[in-house]
Amino acid sequence: MSVGFLFRSVSKGACSVGPVQSLHSGCSLFAAEKALLMKLRKSTGYTFTNCKKALEKFDNDITQAESWLHEQAQKEGWSKANKLEGRRAKEGLVGVFVGDNDAVMVEVNCETDFVARNEKFQELVKAVAFATLAHHKNKTQNQNGYVKSLIGGEDLNKLTLTEGVTLADHVAFVIGRLGENMSLKRAVSLGIPQDWHIGSYVHGSVPGQMEVAMGRYGALVVFQGGPAGEQGALGRKLGQHVVGEAPVALGNMEDLSCGEGETRLLAQTFLADPSRTVAQFLKGKQARVLDFVRFQCGESLGDEGR
Amino acid sequence: SALPCAVPLSRRSFAAEAKKVYTRDKPHVNIGTIGHVDHGKTTLTAAITKVLSDAGGANYKKYEDIDNAPEEKARGITINASHVEYTTANRHYAHTDCPGHADYVKNMITGTAQMDGCILVVAATDGQMPQTREHLLLARQIGVEHVVVFINKADAVEDKEMLELVEIEIRELLTEFGYDGDNTPVVIGSALCALEQPELGVNSIMKLLDIVDSYVPLPKRKLDEPFLLPIEGVYSIPGRGTVVSGTMEKGVIKKGDDCEFIGHNRVFKSVVTGIEMFHKSLERAEAGDNLGALVRGLKREDVRRGMVMCKPGSILPHRKVKAQVYVLSKEEGGRHKPFVTNFMPVMFSLTWDMACRVTLPSEKEMVMPGEDTQLTLTLRQPMVLEKGQRFTLRDGNRTIGTGLVTDILQVTDEDDTNWG
Repeated sequence: MSVGFLFRSVSKGACSVGPVQSLHSGCSLFAAEKALLMKLRKSTGYTFTNCKKALEKFDNDITQAESWLHEQAQKEGWSKANKLEGRRAKEGLVGVFVGDNDAVMVEVNCETDFVARNEKFQELVKAVAFATLAHHKNKTQNQNGYVKSLIGGEDLNKLTLTEGVTLADHVAFVIGRLGENMSLKRAVSLGIPQDWHIGSYVHGSVPGQMEVAMGRYGALVVFQGGPAGEQGALGRKLGQHVVGEAPVALGNMEDLSCGEGETRLLAQTFLADPSRTVAQFLKGKQARVLDFVRFQCGESLGDEGR
Repeated sequence: SALPCAVPLSRRSFAAEAKKVYTRDKPHVNIGTIGHVDHGKTTLTAAITKVLSDAGGANYKKYEDIDNAPEEKARGITINASHVEYTTANRHYAHTDCPGHADYVKNMITGTAQMDGCILVVAATDGQMPQTREHLLLARQIGVEHVVVFINKADAVEDKEMLELVEIEIRELLTEFGYDGDNTPVVIGSALCALEQPELGVNSIMKLLDIVDSYVPLPKRKLDEPFLLPIEGVYSIPGRGTVVSGTMEKGVIKKGDDCEFIGHNRVFKSVVTGIEMFHKSLERAEAGDNLGALVRGLKREDVRRGMVMCKPGSILPHRKVKAQVYVLSKEEGGRHKPFVTNFMPVMFSLTWDMACRVTLPSEKEMVMPGEDTQLTLTLRQPMVLEKGQRFTLRDGNRTIGTGLVTDILQVTDEDDTNWG
């Protein structure tokens, strides 16, 4: 909004007769202050109360006020986070990032699906995914084999973002901004040898997030083989199957399907082609599935937390 | 009393003690609240019942009674929502509050409480939150046209000038989302004050209710629409003719009215020569009545269940629609597997059922149980299907989803291939 419009609307409001107005005199002084307050609020997005406090503290110096607000936000975030701790956070997003020889999948929870649709929350999910990836790369520098590590919420909190800020700090900061309880639930990172592939699928994905795919369900599938050049599509199909059919175990290529309730991936009827089992489909493509991980946002972690 | 009653007297008096009778003396309107979790939606609802209970228009519900939206089942679907009812001087309100986007969408699809308007609650201390944008997007999506803003916690703000800024900001945001931001009513008050220190808050609540009374228009009454009778049964009565029976969906029908029969690839007109309810003949019947209609020159084989009798020209059969559908989760008795494009369930609406083919929106590859989605549905044969009509989708003997028609589409040649 232009400052010109601001003054106009403010003066319109300030000069109208109303019960609020009767408390004040000196229209112009307030108008100027209000314009500043509005500007600060617009540029920083911090709450009106805090913006006002900041301006008062620094005698309407907007630059100082802004830097104070940023400092304050971290503290406020922590106090807010402590206050909201324990409130149920079962909504949220699963974020998936697949690189050349590695992949990460994370789950971050919040209280309502309104927040899950918010950009600021999605940026948090992205930050968590990249912090996990950095952690994974750091740990597996000299390894070439297959590495899979599951990280729980506690350990995720301790990971650091680039500037030495922990993820827990960052989560608290976002809690301060969005005002809802949030938590890091879990993450998984995979590293594979050169000739293996990782397929991924995210369901209910959020538009606009390019690097890290986000949605309510996510799956990573580790496989070998497959027709050259088609591995991307094959991996996606397999990921889709894992999200849709929610297998619990891998099973063997020779396993026969036990019908509707089958929970072994290879024995399940293939989602994209119900006339075959997953194993039969893989044989046709000369591929082998070695491992998979499935996250469903908000699911309780019982024995399913594989 | 003039009404015949089959219930024995003793039991009747018992029932009267157990339940209060709802008297329909004021028009009914559904409203809801949206806003950030901590901005005081529930406190506002509690305050409204408190203020109105003093005037006899509501039962006072404490915060704790309203909080933690209970799970309820509507059409087999679990929705988290709290409902509160109250009466102002002019209207009767059902007030809905849900914790999440998905719950409001389910609410819209099942029609449990279609919101005619809503109150957006914003705390004066914080101003709009980043997710207020998502709240307004939701209001747009579920078709709420009238939003009233309540700026809450005004007592916690020392400088009253700040309230104006909050107001300016929210008006701007409303405009951005296609609402009439400049003319949207904004009420400044404190719900907590209405609960704890009456004089500060009560007036703002009364003002809010007055504005809701006048700003949110009355929903179009079903009685004012052209009549529609989905046909449930057809009977031939020797010596008199053929009678169609069913429950009037909307409108009013009178003896001698012209009517039209539509559905199952048939369209023809006739005249209603008699109306009967409970074996008594009457001059007129209205929406909600269960009736039989005697139709001039009608033969039993001309009509069948699933067709409709309506005011001529008021309705058309359609084959292809866009719809918002909620797909039942496994726990709700739905499928446990996702479905993809070309899935063929059976669609049930009014009294008809017809095979249909599902087409997913382009950005979706599959639909998981427990999620809501937009779908394009193509029927094997055209049936009466209007914008706003509700339906269920079934597969075998299992209900898999409930939906609401949002748009009528034209059938293309491709739609006619592959009916199996």
